Amino acid sequence: MSFTTVLRDDFTNTRRSYVVLGVVAVLTGFVSLITYQVAEFHEDAFRALFDVSFFFFLVFPLILVPLTYLAVAGDRERGSIKHALGLPTTRGEYVLGKYVSRTAVAVGAVVLSTAAALAVGVGAYSGTPDLVRFGTFALVTTLFVASMTAVFVACSTLTKKRSRAMFGVIGAYFLLGPFWLGFLPVVSLNAVITTVADVLGTSVSDTTRGYISLASPTTAYLSGLEPVYDGVVGTGEYPRVTRNYATEGATELYQENWFNYLTMTAWGTVALAVSYARFRVAELG
Amino acid sequence: MTAIKTDALTKRFGEDVLAVDGLDLEVRDGEVFGFLGPNGAGKSTTINMILGFLQPSAGSVDVLGMDVARDSLAIRQRIGLLPEGYEPYENLTGREHVQSAIHAKDADDDPDELLDRVGLDPDDARRPASEYSTGMTKRMSLAVALVGEPELLILDEPSTGLDPDGVSLLREIIREETARGASVFFCSHILEEVEKVCDRVGILNDGELVALDTIDNLRAEMQAGATVEATVDAVPEDLDLEAIAGVRSASVGAGGDADVAGETVRVEVTEGAAKMRALRALDERATVADVSIEEASLEALFDEYTDAEANAGGPGADASAARDDATAVAADGGEGA
Repeated sequence: MSFTTVLRDDFTNTRRSYVVLGVVAVLTGFVSLITYQVAEFHEDAFRALFDVSFFFFLVFPLILVPLTYLAVAGDRERGSIKHALGLPTTRGEYVLGKYVSRTAVAVGAVVLSTAAALAVGVGAYSGTPDLVRFGTFALVTTLFVASMTAVFVACSTLTKKRSRAMFGVIGAYFLLGPFWLGFLPVVSLNAVITTVADVLGTSVSDTTRGYISLASPTTAYLSGLEPVYDGVVGTGEYPRVTRNYATEGATELYQENWFNYLTMTAWGTVALAVSYARFRVAELG
Repeated sequence: MTAIKTDALTKRFGEDVLAVDGLDLEVRDGEVFGFLGPNGAGKSTTINMILGFLQPSAGSVDVLGMDVARDSLAIRQRIGLLPEGYEPYENLTGREHVQSAIHAKDADDDPDELLDRVGLDPDDARRPASEYSTGMTKRMSLAVALVGEPELLILDEPSTGLDPDGVSLLREIIREETARGASVFFCSHILEEVEKVCDRVGILNDGELVALDTIDNLRAEMQAGATVEATVDAVPEDLDLEAIAGVRSASVGAGGDADVAGETVRVEVTEGAAKMRALRALDERATVADVSIEEASLEALFDEYTDAEANAGGPGADASAARDDATAVAADGGEGA
């Protein structure tokens, strides 16, 4: 009963916030714009999803920041948590309620923006948009968003100060996104691994690098979108897509799609579990 | 069964800060218990341990016969909490806050009835709580606390921010709740309110309970007594009121009520019965035109316990100096009888 109380209250409180309206509007607007712009170069609407996925990978977590960083830390700083936990609600129900509520809002934004891309696709592309590809894209993106929301809500759960929560969430975004992927080649995980290996006088195999590079929810998301381009990869139809999803000779587990989905799920689950373990015994006075 | 029982309850923050030190407290079933203390005395820390928000460093807390550490959820099902200094969810209405409590407790209260009972206007109840004044937030929080007919109400500074009507309504609700059988743990720094509604009080100072009794018993224990002021036509010459048992001091001065001509005799007594003895003695020797009696206020007692504790290590250590202060406060701010 109390899990649903927290979920209902938080969802109602959040959806009435201008922040949420901003999140949904910005996301939908940008996805529509990208889809429309790509129509100039390609016939198939699903090809736009390739560009949209990079926008989701790089920008959507940033859009999630204002939606998530105060989920628990804000309640602790404002004292609102005393309302929720003064009622017969366990701390576990409280954290889970907050997470599910914020994830529901984020997933709503994903569904709406994907629907907007589909609508633009119908009007701006010569071919009929493939519903299965769009649906697959929405599903994998939902998993990614659920994973990142869990990480961010976990950061919020671990502290009682909004400034620390903001720092934690931004830090998690940078670590798991741009740093892990190597957006800036000299400030990247790969550069750190290479440097450490050099200092130790050893080397790191490509297989190990492969496992490490796909061990972040953001990189796992990009890799896990491969089924969206089923039948296209390797045909030469869309070279950029092929380059990203070339699986010829794939023999390692990390090259399997399920490994990516497991990675995203594991990040979300472990982050929430660790934060709950700390929150369960946290001093809330 | 006791409503709240703490046993050697202790809370340390780090190595240096001892916020609550071996607190033994018992709030009886059906009573209104006033919990007082100066800022930093450890009141909030104690309440947070009672609610399970903080873990005690040592000792234990039982609420409604259940251990807080073990049965926190069952306890919160049966208590009503009005927390101090919290911001409600900004985009939820007052009514939705009450509905939230009804939902969480699986109660069958009517939110509109509860909001009406605490005097929150129906239109206001449907506005976002972020637009509420402090008083409106307090009314809403009281309605939340009343959900499910709780056996114990924990009210932390409930009258702060309330207008006089709200304070009066709060008193009425507390009376109704205790008549129903509920116990009330009333934490406030508005001593006048505590004095009006509480059966017993506990005074916390520097994390220790320095007083625990009814206000009358505390008055008697501290010999805080009362001040009797009588306006007489003329003061008899050999008026030896200090010889009367229970009279601490007597003095004469002009003044008193400006509408009454004459002189004022001021008598400080240490026990209730001495008031009438002094008045009878005065009435036999002079014509008494007007009388006022000021009981030592809770504020005076509070000052006496907390100041004496701070200055001399115990309320009895320098009682006479403390009593002088208390009497002065009583004369300045006490209620006229």
